[in-house]
Amino acid sequence: MAVITITNLTKQFGGLVAVENLDIEVKEQSIHSVIGPNGAGKTTLFNCITGFYRPEIGDIRLEDHSLVGLMPDQIVRHGIARTYQNIRLFPDLTAMENILVGMHSHLRAGYFGIVLGLPATRREEKKANEEALRLLKFVNLAGKGDLLAKNLPYGNQRRLEIARALATRPKVLCLDEPAAGMNPKESQDLMDFIRHLRDALGITILLIEHQMRVVMGISEKVTVLDYGKKIAEGTPAEVQCNPQVIEAYLGRGSATQPCAA
Amino acid sequence: MNPALTQRFPGIRLGLIGGASLVLLSLIGMVEAFNQREIISDVISMGQTLLLFTAMFIGYLAAKRGRERGQGQVFGSGITAGLIMAGMLALLVLLGHAINMRQVFINASPVLFQILIFQQEELWAGIGLLLLAGVLTGLSAGLLRILPDRIRRVLIIGICSVAIVGLLQDLIAPIFSVWDPLADIIELLFPGNGLSVSGAVGLFIVVAALSAFWSFKGQAVQTRIQALPPKSRRGLNLAAVLVGVFVLLAAPQVLGLFLSEVMTIVGLYVLLGLGLNIVVGFAGLLDLGYVAFFAIGSYTVAILTSPELGFFDWNFWQALPLAVLFGVLAGVILGVPVLKMRGDYLAIATLGFGEIIRIMVLSDFLRPWLGGAQGIGKIPKAEIAGFEFATPQEIYYLILAGCVLVGFISWRLRDSRLGRAWMAVREDEDVAQAMGINLVATKLLAFATGAGFSALSGAIFATKLGSVYPHSFNVMISINILCVIIVGGMGSMPGVAVGALALVGLPELLREFADYRLLVYGAALMAMMLLRPEGLWPEATRQRELHEEESAEPRS
Repeated sequence: MAVITITNLTKQFGGLVAVENLDIEVKEQSIHSVIGPNGAGKTTLFNCITGFYRPEIGDIRLEDHSLVGLMPDQIVRHGIARTYQNIRLFPDLTAMENILVGMHSHLRAGYFGIVLGLPATRREEKKANEEALRLLKFVNLAGKGDLLAKNLPYGNQRRLEIARALATRPKVLCLDEPAAGMNPKESQDLMDFIRHLRDALGITILLIEHQMRVVMGISEKVTVLDYGKKIAEGTPAEVQCNPQVIEAYLGRGSATQPCAA
Repeated sequence: MNPALTQRFPGIRLGLIGGASLVLLSLIGMVEAFNQREIISDVISMGQTLLLFTAMFIGYLAAKRGRERGQGQVFGSGITAGLIMAGMLALLVLLGHAINMRQVFINASPVLFQILIFQQEELWAGIGLLLLAGVLTGLSAGLLRILPDRIRRVLIIGICSVAIVGLLQDLIAPIFSVWDPLADIIELLFPGNGLSVSGAVGLFIVVAALSAFWSFKGQAVQTRIQALPPKSRRGLNLAAVLVGVFVLLAAPQVLGLFLSEVMTIVGLYVLLGLGLNIVVGFAGLLDLGYVAFFAIGSYTVAILTSPELGFFDWNFWQALPLAVLFGVLAGVILGVPVLKMRGDYLAIATLGFGEIIRIMVLSDFLRPWLGGAQGIGKIPKAEIAGFEFATPQEIYYLILAGCVLVGFISWRLRDSRLGRAWMAVREDEDVAQAMGINLVATKLLAFATGAGFSALSGAIFATKLGSVYPHSFNVMISINILCVIIVGGMGSMPGVAVGALALVGLPELLREFADYRLLVYGAALMAMMLLRPEGLWPEATRQRELHEEESAEPRS
């Protein structure tokens, strides 16, 4: 069953068409990658899904709800969380606080409950802390909860960002180039972690990458964008052999190379 | 100036900078004005202390730079810097004797020049003495630099405490004179204007000994306290809190009328600062029109209670909730149009709002309701069961209660879902929204809470003064409050109190200071940004992180 259905999506910036007539179906509990060269419109697609851009034409549906026109905070509450290509943690908050901010929409405490310290508020806060600690442990950051986010090493920041996104209890997790700036070993570890994440939590993962090699191992389905258009879609093996894809990545003339699959 | 030369001899460059600062301090009249007050009787005045401390600081920097280039240059650089600084002051004196500079620099008076040459009759003898003083300053700065860290720290703490005690004699003398045995010591310390020589030496020895003891044993004491079982540690904390409460409650009785008045002003600023701290410190919304809510609180109380206007005849307690409510509503009303603005644009828009309120109050059009330029008088005092909060010592308690309430609310909010949402908005608005935070509600709550606190402060201000005037609510108040929270430490609640004491309390105590208040504010802000960007009393986590590298250095 499709958890996200994108139909006929178009997003323009002035004369530039960043995404054009895009149709994508993301299956529940799958790992679905969107790849493409730089400037292909991958991040624009993410920004449309998460509500930062409002597409001119087309529809994005999460299960039965249309997400077009909703604010980012409403979309998170529907169950889509994201990370950023260039890490965007809250730098001067601690790792724990970063995760607790992610839980914001699941906490109910009101102004007066907080000021008066009502038992319900305290209970909720205690539970939130426990859950945040669990999430820290889940992303292998146990014991680093009191460090400021900006002082964590790069790899830890990447994982903390994922933990913060998980704190929103998403149905779909959108990862924007999570392997950027990582060496082959690190990106392999990350891919294993992403697979584990899907299996352990039963969520759907929508992944942006422009390194083809990285996503081939874990993706069940790959959509290839170029200049805002879908040029291919299928299993990694199918996509890899598609001449149009090879051309987009390697340039004209390379398509004559024999396909490994 | 040849860059290679200044590179090689750091004393020259720093000496020129220092000399320019000293000439500036002299020409704007600070030295002469501060000379009225003696730090140590007949030995050194506050004006001389100002010059000496500046020169020492520059000399020390020069010696430090010199040291980086080899041992031999420590004294060389220090003395060069000292000599250049003294030389520039000497040139100023000579110039002043040769021509009359007073048409341009009204403070370049003979009195100033006499101070600079140590009141010598002979001009050249005085110049010689001045240059000698420069050399000695450079020499001692060099000495200070080559001393081991611990001893240097002890010396600096000792000297600074003597200077501070001498400076704050008006504050310290009356407080400690309450108790007879202490009064005798005070009598010895302050025989007249300033510390006595023996008092200064004694004080220096006591403070230096204490700080030496702490620097050698402090670590051990701390570890011992940490090793205590949690129960007795909690007891220790409780005892500390109780002592604090007792001091706060007893303060006005000990401080007397004048100092209690100062404390009430500080208290009002603490209230305002805690409110602005929520808007700027927590939520990162730079609000420069904050005084508007203060005015709204004041005027609400004035209109509702003053018989002068004759609309209402309420008492303070009936008017107070409405004042806070109006403040909150005004916060929301201001908040809605500026929701989409960030940073500088927000600052300008809120600045305008503050001015709108002030000009509205001042207008003739609204005069029948708001009193116009003459303001509103005859505001009754607050009263509980026949007890009237009339004198500063009584109003102090009213303000203290307000601070405790507001502090408690801020503290609860900070460690909550809402406080985290504010800080997330401060750090990154877009991401905060992507994490499910409703920006509209979150920002409006910050504006409303801050405005409510400000209105509460305004309400107390109105009943304290008994009258309200439009000119009490100019933009400088907003700026002052902002300075208080920057100097104290953005987002830190104890920092607000420390900042208010330093920036509001201190100037009230140092009357000579009044003319130079803004200058010192500016210098303090710049110094804070350069040397201690996290503020005087920062939030615990920020302090730890910002100084982690420095504290790790000596251990390795």
